[in-house]
Amino acid sequence: MIPDWKVVQDYLEILEFPELKGIIFMQTACQAVQHQRGRRQYNKLRNLLKDARHDCVLFANEFQQSCYLPRERGESMEKWQSRSIYNAATWYYHHCQDRMPIVMVTEDDEAIQQYGSETEGVFVISFKSYLDNFWPDLKAAHELCESILQSRRERENESQESHGKEYPEHLPLEVLEAGIKSGRYIQGTLSVNKHRAQIEAFVRLQGASSKDSGLVSDILIHGMKARNRSIHGDVVVVELLPKNEWKGRTTALGENDGEFPSEPMPTGRVVGILQKNWRDYVVTFPSKEEVQSQGKNARKILVIPWDYRIPKIRISTQQAEALQDFRVVVRIDSWESTSMYPSGHFVRVLGRIGDLEGEIATILVENSISVVPFSEAQMCEMPVNTTENPWKVSSEEERERKDLRKTHLVFSIDPRGCEDVDDAFSVRALDNGNLELGVHIADVTHFVASHSYIDIEARTRATTYYLADRRYDMLPSILSADVCSLLGGVDRYAVSIMWELDKTSYEIKEVWYGRTIIRSAYKLFYEAAQELLDGNVDIVDDIPEFGDLDEKSRQAKLEELLWAIRKLTDIARHVRAKRYQCGALELEGVEVRIQLDEKKNIHDLIPKQPLEVHETVAECMILANHWVAKKIWESFPHQALLRRHPPPHQEFFSELRECAKAKGFFIDTRSNKALADSLDNANDPNDPIVNWLLRSMATQAMSNALYFSTGSCAEEEFHHYGLALDKYTHFTSPIRRYSDIIVHRLLMAAISKDKKMEIKEDLFSNKDLEELCRHINNRNRAAQHSQKQSTELFQCMYFKDKDPETEERCISDGVIYSIRTNGVLVFIPRFGIKGAAYLKNKDGLVISCSPDGHSEWKPGSLQRFQNKITSTTTGGESVTFHLFDHVTVRISVQASRCHSDTIRLEIISNKPYMMPDTELFQQSSLLLKSDLVKEVTRSVEEAQLAQEVKVNVIEKDYQKYCQTKGRSLYTLLEEIRDLALLDVSNSYGI
Amino acid sequence: MAGLELLSDQGYRVDGRRAGELRKIQARMGVFAQADGSAYIEQGNTKALAVVYGPHEIRGSRARALPDRALVNCQYSSATFSTGERKRRPHGDRKSCEMGLQLRQTFEAAVLTQLHPRSQIDIYVQVLQADGGTYAACVNAATLAVLDAGIPMRDFVCACSAGFVDGTALADLSHVEEAAGGPQLALALLPSSGQIALLEMDARLHEDHLEQVLEAAAHAARDVHTLLDRVVRQHVQEASILLGD
Repeated sequence: MIPDWKVVQDYLEILEFPELKGIIFMQTACQAVQHQRGRRQYNKLRNLLKDARHDCVLFANEFQQSCYLPRERGESMEKWQSRSIYNAATWYYHHCQDRMPIVMVTEDDEAIQQYGSETEGVFVISFKSYLDNFWPDLKAAHELCESILQSRRERENESQESHGKEYPEHLPLEVLEAGIKSGRYIQGTLSVNKHRAQIEAFVRLQGASSKDSGLVSDILIHGMKARNRSIHGDVVVVELLPKNEWKGRTTALGENDGEFPSEPMPTGRVVGILQKNWRDYVVTFPSKEEVQSQGKNARKILVIPWDYRIPKIRISTQQAEALQDFRVVVRIDSWESTSMYPSGHFVRVLGRIGDLEGEIATILVENSISVVPFSEAQMCEMPVNTTENPWKVSSEEERERKDLRKTHLVFSIDPRGCEDVDDAFSVRALDNGNLELGVHIADVTHFVASHSYIDIEARTRATTYYLADRRYDMLPSILSADVCSLLGGVDRYAVSIMWELDKTSYEIKEVWYGRTIIRSAYKLFYEAAQELLDGNVDIVDDIPEFGDLDEKSRQAKLEELLWAIRKLTDIARHVRAKRYQCGALELEGVEVRIQLDEKKNIHDLIPKQPLEVHETVAECMILANHWVAKKIWESFPHQALLRRHPPPHQEFFSELRECAKAKGFFIDTRSNKALADSLDNANDPNDPIVNWLLRSMATQAMSNALYFSTGSCAEEEFHHYGLALDKYTHFTSPIRRYSDIIVHRLLMAAISKDKKMEIKEDLFSNKDLEELCRHINNRNRAAQHSQKQSTELFQCMYFKDKDPETEERCISDGVIYSIRTNGVLVFIPRFGIKGAAYLKNKDGLVISCSPDGHSEWKPGSLQRFQNKITSTTTGGESVTFHLFDHVTVRISVQASRCHSDTIRLEIISNKPYMMPDTELFQQSSLLLKSDLVKEVTRSVEEAQLAQEVKVNVIEKDYQKYCQTKGRSLYTLLEEIRDLALLDVSNSYGI
Repeated sequence: MAGLELLSDQGYRVDGRRAGELRKIQARMGVFAQADGSAYIEQGNTKALAVVYGPHEIRGSRARALPDRALVNCQYSSATFSTGERKRRPHGDRKSCEMGLQLRQTFEAAVLTQLHPRSQIDIYVQVLQADGGTYAACVNAATLAVLDAGIPMRDFVCACSAGFVDGTALADLSHVEEAAGGPQLALALLPSSGQIALLEMDARLHEDHLEQVLEAAAHAARDVHTLLDRVVRQHVQEASILLGD
């Protein structure tokens, strides 16, 4: 099928359907797109061409001798383009020796008439009849086609009757560029305040422009008018307003307009958009009553996006009634200056509002995550491992790889029941008395060839997505849970790093990298490993590998394993100590781990206390990552994929310092070492939560760690702040991260380079790698967001069924961690929920507390100080809330039709909430913690169960929990960000 | 907004060439009867004319005469109608002077000047249409003209430009590609010995890529050599027929 230029321009979205394959794009058509629709559309087309799954090709017809047609005198551009495309189509038909019928699809009726019957075998039809004839079943495509047609008709109508303008026109591009250069305008990315989407938006400055203009902070864009049709995420050009028009940002909570705007900040208005970052938006149709109130324009409907930051979108559809209760995907087409709202078209239905599947699909679409089952072509590349036809080590590989099956005692330590084991260890004494530590990582790249279908798919996904109740794998389960997984007692391919260490000082003497064959002897779980380490041998009965051995050999084997685990721990302690000296941060405290595990691994990862084994494993992973990073950087200084963590800006720490001061601690943030030390000291013995909150605030202040290509960054910037390492990468989890796959390939290439062999791997150039890194970083962010949003979804669903007035579970203890003008932000350690609690309600009443602590609403006023807030009633009673005060809050759910439900908090007492088990409170904090864990787990499990009854997938879900999540210390560190106090995406939140 | 895509994903350049492909080269020798040697060359749309006088006695100030070798005097000019925007002065501006100097350096390296002490060789080059790679076209035209004049040279001097886009080296840049502002390298090569007579580079290019671009330019220069060689042989053949040998 060959689309005409007009079809490519207008129906590209339909051509993107995975069902439509084998499309030949003519160069003429592509160039028309490039010229008339601009870069964005053209890039979409390019991606389509690059995507091997679509089987599309570009035919450079203008460069082909027999296809080129000169444009005739007086012939219009459009005519010439159609003629060229038809001519090329005919040529293509003859080129295939008249065997393959060719369909040329055009929208030009004249062309259909003129060429329709000219050549046999080359059919010229319109796009509509093409869909009708060839894809009668592809309903989605038909619907999309309809809605595109309709929205185009609308646009034409509108342009005729253009009336009063709602927005000023954007300036032409040349003016913008000249303005940016001269410093008159400023370029930046627009981000809308989620909580005041109508009024507040900020422009985050980009690169050089911030230096020139001397502005430190972001620029406030106040109101929709000044925002001038730009949407969250767009790259915009801003003109600063004169100083007397500057406004302050509101610090009040919620909808009621802040009476005390903070001091004025630079304010501007958008004069042009450089790059539109429109994506697919999930929207909800207004309910029936609202539709009627919109009156005569019933065909055009304003739909409300799920994301608060996106303005309402005007679409025209007849299906509004039918789609009442559904979440729908919509795409924005244009936003004319004559229109209040952008206009778009309907794309597809996701699911019912409030339905778990529908809501999850919403989260996926909002984060641009697309998860389709692996296709047949992709599965065909997979190795087979069934009972009839078991997978075996091939003899060629046996020759090429170092065989560690006989010589090394290899074991893995993972959570109980884990099936994707991507790392294993070995320790042994060498003949010269030195020690040899080995880290063995599953050799995924052996099975995933570069540029194979599965590789392309994995690259697109970039990571395994973990939602609260499910996960979407990056690789098919045959690899992730079977052939690549380093299970016990079977032969597996691995990529190994082996260090030779001095026997006493553990100084690294030599390091070896290479492909190996291993057979893991023991698949231990954390608790068992810890028990062994503590010398508690009873646990042996729990390890299946020891099951059917007689007493004697059992004893010998046990001795051997014990020695290895002890040595491993010893080495890890040593390495860690060294890293801490350099200033590595330990940001995850005890509580964090509880919170982490709470949602992720319900069954398995419930440590009674953090085990040393966890840290040992993490340390070995960090060591391996560090050494691999060094190696690939040395071999490929300009195209190695590393991970850096830039040092944070000092000004972001000010809130942390203020908070700490309120408790009488001093936090030194000048270096990572100073920060780590002062955080260790800032420990309130009566309240472990304080330390945790401070740590989480510190994490919040830091920037994200990023993947990058070494060619595009100066060497000083490679540094990893959190781990205090000069070079770091991700190498140890190729099963669930694509970056690790790239690093594996780089390492293999580096090894062959050392051996002076030809480099088999097809490595990315710096530019491609940089683009890939950006993609992976984006996907990681999307994965984090979707995980967080799905957790919130579950929290809401859990509390939704409970009646907040009666249910004991809805009342809990909370800690105030931030003060705003009309309320406080509260963290509830028991559920890991953060939220806002108002001290002044919508009617203007303020909170007051009776002597026994119970609160009620009374008229009065609020007064805010640096780290406390006082509410005074007209009757003269007053109550003060300090930072880090414990209060009792009631949790309820604020239901919302168009958006996600939100948790609402209400302070019902200014005294800490006493749990029924009060006496436990007084006991040692250790006991308290374990109690907390049990409590949380139980409640969450109940929540899960409640959910699962609803969706009837109990069995399946539990299986999914068995997979592991981040064992490296750094992953943990990053995950805290999810739990950090403020919204990541919007630091101006609340 | 849409910047020109110099190298498409399929590996085509704007004018349909592949990365290492040259533009069509057509050349003739002996176009003027009055001059000692002359040649005309077309490289795609770039057209250049070269005329050589000499070796003859030093004209003007005798002081310029060199005791041990011939003085090579080069003048470059480009026609007022050669570029998209009409030029004011055909010659004598800074760019022309620089180009003249570069040509002189190139030919001092190639012509066996020590055979003609205290004499002078004049090379005049005029560009009739400039569509990228003017230096290369001038050198190639001048080589043919010098050969036509029968002045002994070490070897042909073959020149070609090369650029670098998206990790790929492009040979023989056209005007559009030059105007895009990427790195650009001009190379004059003595093909049989592989010696470099002149190498010039504009804009910044990472050291790692230099090798690649240089290789592309050298390869293109060798291709130019085969073409020029053919032109010379054909010219000699025609001349010998005319002379009746």
